Amino acid sequence: MTLAAVSPPLRPARMIFAGPVLPRLVAGIVILSFWEWAVRSFAPDFVAKPSAIAAVLPHVISGAPFHESTAITLASTAEGLVVALLFGTAIGVLMGRSLAADRALRLWINGFNAMPMIVVLPLMSLWFGYTGYARFATIVFAAIFAVIVNAAEGARSVPKDYVEVGRSFRSGSFRMLFEIVLPASMPYLLAGLRLATGRALIGAVVAEFFTAIPGLGYFILYNSRTFHQNEAFVAVILLAGFGVGCDWLISWATRHYLPWYRRDEKVE
Amino acid sequence: MNARLKRYSPFVLSLGGGLALWQIAGSHSSAAFMAPLSATLERLAQLIEHGRLVELFLSSASLFASGFALAVIVGMPLGLLLARLRVLREALDLYIMILYATPMVALIPFILSLFGFGFGPKVLVVFLFAVFPILYNTVEGARSIKPELIEVARSYRSGEWALWREVMVPYTLPYAMTGVRQSIARALVGMVAAEFFLSSSGLGGLIMTASQSFDTAGVFAVMLIIGVMGVALTRIGLMLETHFARWRG
Repeated sequence: MTLAAVSPPLRPARMIFAGPVLPRLVAGIVILSFWEWAVRSFAPDFVAKPSAIAAVLPHVISGAPFHESTAITLASTAEGLVVALLFGTAIGVLMGRSLAADRALRLWINGFNAMPMIVVLPLMSLWFGYTGYARFATIVFAAIFAVIVNAAEGARSVPKDYVEVGRSFRSGSFRMLFEIVLPASMPYLLAGLRLATGRALIGAVVAEFFTAIPGLGYFILYNSRTFHQNEAFVAVILLAGFGVGCDWLISWATRHYLPWYRRDEKVE
Repeated sequence: MNARLKRYSPFVLSLGGGLALWQIAGSHSSAAFMAPLSATLERLAQLIEHGRLVELFLSSASLFASGFALAVIVGMPLGLLLARLRVLREALDLYIMILYATPMVALIPFILSLFGFGFGPKVLVVFLFAVFPILYNTVEGARSIKPELIEVARSYRSGEWALWREVMVPYTLPYAMTGVRQSIARALVGMVAAEFFLSSSGLGGLIMTASQSFDTAGVFAVMLIIGVMGVALTRIGLMLETHFARWRG
């Protein structure tokens, strides 16, 4: 029985730059024109449409509120991710290398991993109040289980030969961990990071919606409530770009630094 | 008997240990901070007895089922169509990839102000959360169909229908099932998000009201229900995926 939800296939990077340009360009133009036409003919004036978004874009991205919101959200997402990555990898590697730890924790880790993480929001706001701490805790909670599951899977699948060679050269457990187990499970750690980044970003936005603390999520909420949907949509574009960028960066790193790793060999 | 005992004892020990830890931690902290297992179960029993929980569960479940079913009904055929029509696939795969990586929660305020907060807009939220993993993975599967397979089918003069039935669908379905597994998890997040942020309803709404009245045991009770729901649905998704993975060539 494999652990649940290991990770989606790692391949989107090639899709962006390789491949035909013309059909994509045509499709993009068709989608945007359809959107513009639909909003102009059926929707009220305040609804976001491509031409209006393009018109407000320079004004929004040069504005201080946008900069501050972006900085806050991205910084707290990064902080949460680092914490989730450190603790998650530690717990995951422990589970992967020790049968006792695995048996004690696996049930709970899988359970939490399957739980939609945003249900913890009310609890976090109860515990930490309507503050940045609630957002931080939500981000960590959202991200950590994906890291643990993948780190455990990676540590479990370290080839036995490597460990045996390490043993026969009498390497200590410290070197065993940092020179054999962690490098060998790198592809899994990266896959976990990729999953965790997406979830952390969702966690951050949702927490800002819920607690109304400053950040990109609140920027979207506030602007769309005050009939500035075009301005709000600029933040959505930034979030999408951030999501795509992280995906791309991680799959690029996998191909560049771990070229021997092919995703087909991975357990699904 | 002995083998069975050996097989299940770690599972039982882990479950029991965790629950005991929950009970101890809960009873040693303030009631507003954390509810022990016993209080949570008591509250759960109350909610069930009241009849409210069943009603709210059904409301959430129907929201999940509608949004998810819609995502499958739209995502799978569209994915298969993109598998067959290469030009369309090349035109759209980039956009599907972008939408797959976009945090869909960011669109909730727009949906709220455009469509209001009835059942329909909530289904739309669940649908948006769930459809892109299915579409993305189906297209991904379609990209990996070996051209030889289609050539062979063609040289045996198979018609369009036979080509779909014998080559396209069997080849793409395992990938689509990976998407289905991913989108089950996402649809569940979408369900709770819709209940939190559109209008308070179902299990998500119950968590909200419980937390606003500092009913920590209530919050834990509903979290327990949603957690069990998540585990069960993930199991089903995993079973579907492994069942179809045997076809993977």
